[in-house]
Amino acid sequence: MLNAFRWWWGIVLAFALLALSRLYLPLPFVIEVVIFSIYTIGCSFLLGRVGFISFGQPAYLAVGAYGTAFYLFYFGTNPYVGILIGILSGVAVSAIVGPLFVRLRSDYFALVNLALAVIVYYLMQKVLADITKGDNGLWFLTNIASTPVLDLSTPNQFFIFSLLVGVAVWGLYKYLDDTVFGACCMATKINEDKLKFLGYSNYRIRLFAFIIANTTTALAGAMYAIYLGFVSPEITSPARTADPVVVTILGGTGTLYGPIVGSIAYTGMKDVISKYIGNWELFIGFLLVFIMLAGERGIWGTLQPRLQALFSRKKKAAVPAGSGGTQR
Amino acid sequence: MDAQLLVSGIIFGLSIGSVFFLMAIGLSLCFGLMRIISLDQLLYYSVGAYITYTLSLVTGSIWLGVLGGVVAGGIVAFAVERLIFRRIYERELTFSMITSFGVLIGGIGVIKFFWGVIPRPVPVPTLAQVDIFGTDVPVYRIMVVAIAFLVYAGIWLFLNRTITGKAIRAGIEDVEHVEGLGINVSRLFTITFIIAGTLSGLAGGLHAPLIMVDPQMGLEVLAFVFMVVIIGGLGSIKGTLVSAMIVGQVVSLGSLVYAPLAQMAPFAVMLLILLVKPTGLYGSAMLKK
Repeated sequence: MLNAFRWWWGIVLAFALLALSRLYLPLPFVIEVVIFSIYTIGCSFLLGRVGFISFGQPAYLAVGAYGTAFYLFYFGTNPYVGILIGILSGVAVSAIVGPLFVRLRSDYFALVNLALAVIVYYLMQKVLADITKGDNGLWFLTNIASTPVLDLSTPNQFFIFSLLVGVAVWGLYKYLDDTVFGACCMATKINEDKLKFLGYSNYRIRLFAFIIANTTTALAGAMYAIYLGFVSPEITSPARTADPVVVTILGGTGTLYGPIVGSIAYTGMKDVISKYIGNWELFIGFLLVFIMLAGERGIWGTLQPRLQALFSRKKKAAVPAGSGGTQR
Repeated sequence: MDAQLLVSGIIFGLSIGSVFFLMAIGLSLCFGLMRIISLDQLLYYSVGAYITYTLSLVTGSIWLGVLGGVVAGGIVAFAVERLIFRRIYERELTFSMITSFGVLIGGIGVIKFFWGVIPRPVPVPTLAQVDIFGTDVPVYRIMVVAIAFLVYAGIWLFLNRTITGKAIRAGIEDVEHVEGLGINVSRLFTITFIIAGTLSGLAGGLHAPLIMVDPQMGLEVLAFVFMVVIIGGLGSIKGTLVSAMIVGQVVSLGSLVYAPLAQMAPFAVMLLILLVKPTGLYGSAMLKK
């Protein structure tokens, strides 16, 4: 029981803080932060744990969003089924492209993913315009039926749902870090030859990690679709391909809580700055260059060792496993 | 498909392929010598196109505008190299990719700041048509192809006949040995980067009359340029030329068969080639990091 508490408390604390921030911050902002951090953790996992940088995450986001949107627009009304379909389409797409992509070197991998994002954009905007309604997007807010227990069509209950999903996703990634598979992911990043020597298949580990990360991204896409009630090709537009990478690096690559911290910082800055400057790209671009030149550890990556030092001074007893203490 | 459509399709493909080639060559050289992936080449492309637009408005001559675009591409590349890339040559490949993506996005913001977001038309320098196999083909497109092949010849001569070029080729094989021979590698890097930026600026200037100039234009060709580089193999000039022409033809002829295919077909070709040869057509395994 105590062990379970120790294991979970960091995650629960993080999301409890997010829930509390609802008292002071507007609801759309907090929901955006939660979904964005789910969106980013896939990219963070790929970059920090497996050593793959992906500029194509919006492609998988769009796959999840459109999977959900097609279901809700054409077939059914249940948002839970819609999210499930979004996740399944994410699994399907990453299982199809994964075997081709993970064989590539890291640099080729990034470029191929970028190409995929652009292709998905054109696919949704032009090629499949008959069923995706092109740039107008699919509007289905009124199609979403009320459901018992958690009614996803009301923002407040959707917020609770998104927090629960967040806790589950972070639990999954923390669990992955503890397993042999997580260790293998690190190993394939650091030294693939040695891993092969130990009898593991680099290819299989990468493929599995790829599918997990992109399924998480598709889940974020599905949640965007339900939350906004519409989906347009803009979700995967080439100008937004850098967002998850920026947030990953801003928060701290490969850390467990980096994506949350990064999302708060990024969404906050976007809201504040876009009020003053309409020119949003200018700022992201230079921010990215600045972080890279300043030492690439990100906000959480810099903050975490200090917090840890603070905690261990207070309680001399063992540093708890939570709070990302054991990560990195 | 009748012959007229086919001929104009092939010429169209060649001219598009030439533009892709001019841009991809910069990426390819930068990867080969400095081991960086310089996504900001797409920024110099946009800068070249915008300078062409402005100068052709002011002076009335588009060729002067293209020249200005070339010079501007080179100058911006030089500044970026001095300010940013200088500090990151030693780092990992992904590091340069992220940083240069930041430069690209930031640069697009700067372009939006100066020129606004509205797409601008650039007039074609010559409206003359020439008759090839009974088809009227715009002379300008043929000029673009000719310029691309001239550049290829020039690059080939530069790399094979001059000391600097030979040093660059040797650097692609092994940078440390070149440094050991007493050649100033840092200056070599700067020269290569400026050449890459200049060629991207040229690509932008030449492409501007064929399309509308808008701030996102770099991101629009991004996917195609990467396909060219990936299919040809990073670090190979000849591979880049061959694959640029392949991609150009696939885009152009694909759109004749079924219009939306133009965006999708190159992707399928790329996947096929990567399946058979993960390093691209001419990319050698030796270039592995």
